[in-house]
Amino acid sequence: MYLVGGAMIAAIFVVPLVWEILRSFEAPAAIVSPPSLKNFSHLSVSNYTKLLNGDNILRNVINSLIVAVATAAVTAFVATLAGYGFGRFKFRGSGAIFGLVLLGFMVPFQAVVVPLFLELKVFHLLNSLPGLALFYTAFNLPFGTYLMRNTFRQLPDELLDSAMVDGASVVTTLTRVLRPLIVPGVATTVLYAFLFSWTEFLGALTFTTNDSIYTLPVALVNVESTDTYGQIDYGVLVAGAVIAMVPCIIIYVALQRYYVRGLVSGAVKG
Amino acid sequence: MGALGSTTGVLASPSASPRVLTPPRRRSTARTRREARVGYTLVAPAIAFVGVFILYPLGFGAFISFTNYPLVGPYHYNGAANYRALVHNSTFIHSIVFTLEYTAIVTVPILVVGYLLAVFTRSNRRWTTLFRTCFFLPFIVGISTLSFLIEVELQPGFGTINVLLSKLHIVGVNTPWTANTGLALTAICVMVIWFASGFTMMILMAGMQSIPEHLYESASVDGATWWERERMITIPLLRRSIALSLVISVIGSLLAFNQFFIITDGGPGSSTQSVVMQIYETFNTSFNVGSSSAMSVVLVAVVGFITFMQFRFLRGEDA
Repeated sequence: MYLVGGAMIAAIFVVPLVWEILRSFEAPAAIVSPPSLKNFSHLSVSNYTKLLNGDNILRNVINSLIVAVATAAVTAFVATLAGYGFGRFKFRGSGAIFGLVLLGFMVPFQAVVVPLFLELKVFHLLNSLPGLALFYTAFNLPFGTYLMRNTFRQLPDELLDSAMVDGASVVTTLTRVLRPLIVPGVATTVLYAFLFSWTEFLGALTFTTNDSIYTLPVALVNVESTDTYGQIDYGVLVAGAVIAMVPCIIIYVALQRYYVRGLVSGAVKG
Repeated sequence: MGALGSTTGVLASPSASPRVLTPPRRRSTARTRREARVGYTLVAPAIAFVGVFILYPLGFGAFISFTNYPLVGPYHYNGAANYRALVHNSTFIHSIVFTLEYTAIVTVPILVVGYLLAVFTRSNRRWTTLFRTCFFLPFIVGISTLSFLIEVELQPGFGTINVLLSKLHIVGVNTPWTANTGLALTAICVMVIWFASGFTMMILMAGMQSIPEHLYESASVDGATWWERERMITIPLLRRSIALSLVISVIGSLLAFNQFFIITDGGPGSSTQSVVMQIYETFNTSFNVGSSSAMSVVLVAVVGFITFMQFRFLRGEDA
């Protein structure tokens, strides 16, 4: 009973996604005719070849990937250092400074997009992948720092004390002694930062105006709005959205215990 | 990137200092000072990022909301003129009303569906992990990607949603969903409820799993029905999680942009323009920096207030 009920509810959430993956392999003419099983008698990859060659969206996929990987890496690095500092070192004003970082939690990025545009313009970081990655990193850091601070707080004191008695430097302690213990925290930070930046839309839309810099979702807006014949190529749109969707699902399914861990630590401690 | 480079340089220096052999409990002043220096160094890059890309733009945005800031050329202080203009800006007022309306429609269904999904997956039976993953997938895929797909499936004539609903004789196969305000809002709300309830489920489930099992057992012994147990045990003990999930979902709705920009482009007319979309259009189409900054300040104030109240509420519960 439980299994049947669960499967039926799960279908509501999963079948539409699977359906879109199937749809992306329909022939272009079949996409714009009413769905029927006949449409799947001739599966084709033509939407994908058109997307990657004709519309040159491969470049935009790579842009999204570069930005997401860079954001994840820099966020994890900076958040680990900050988490170590806040979690394990005593210095004057540390509580107040930590509060300042948490203040970033309360600022929705949607509300600073305009001044940020003007700022990035001054730094020549508009139409730039590093510019996008820096913006994404900043907005992922409050949560990442919070998460890593908790991670460092939970480490056993004896471990750090003995490392210090052995004369290990701060860097050695971090990379040799603590590394295996902070991996779950780092993985959680990486996962959140990657998923956030892979298909972030408003910032990418505002800060880029050049085809070659667009990330995948911004490029899809162009597919949605312009075409040589005044027609929207729905096949290409579906294929592009599937490309945006599949990495999220794979990464999430592989690393979901880290994702849930972050959710719980954020939710329980507020 | 320069900030990061300099950090590694400073970080390496403590390794060159002589070994400290004092026992960890007794700390000399030199040790304390060294510890403070290393601490500051470690947190500096994070402070730099948050300061440069969050706090500075926040202050800068507040400043330019009091000016006639143009994209090029000189600007001058013009007091609260931008804010006064907002009061008479009927498109902006409409976007506020529309966003509140949208928030009011989706909030309760997301909570109720999320709650029921959490009830369904809270026990650690076989298959629950798989079900949980399934329910959460739309959220992981993200609202921008889903919006593109829904837009295709809402197309008159061939969109899957249209065709299925017409087979069930609910709407005609050629229903122009995005050309009608009510239909567009309905479609977007259903999509968002489907998208977001998995997230609410995750938060509520974490709270439910910390409720001791024996409470339910003794209630069962006393002959309590399912609903009585939920009402007397789960819901009171889950107040914090429910409040948290409500705040996250309300803030998410107030900040909605992707689904409206992608699916309706604010149309028909500007009837489905959310507040964030209004800010975007005022800046990107009308190049009115001062006005869009003033709108942003209003938005920050509202969202900040809700977050602040949440912190106060949750802290109050602890005391």
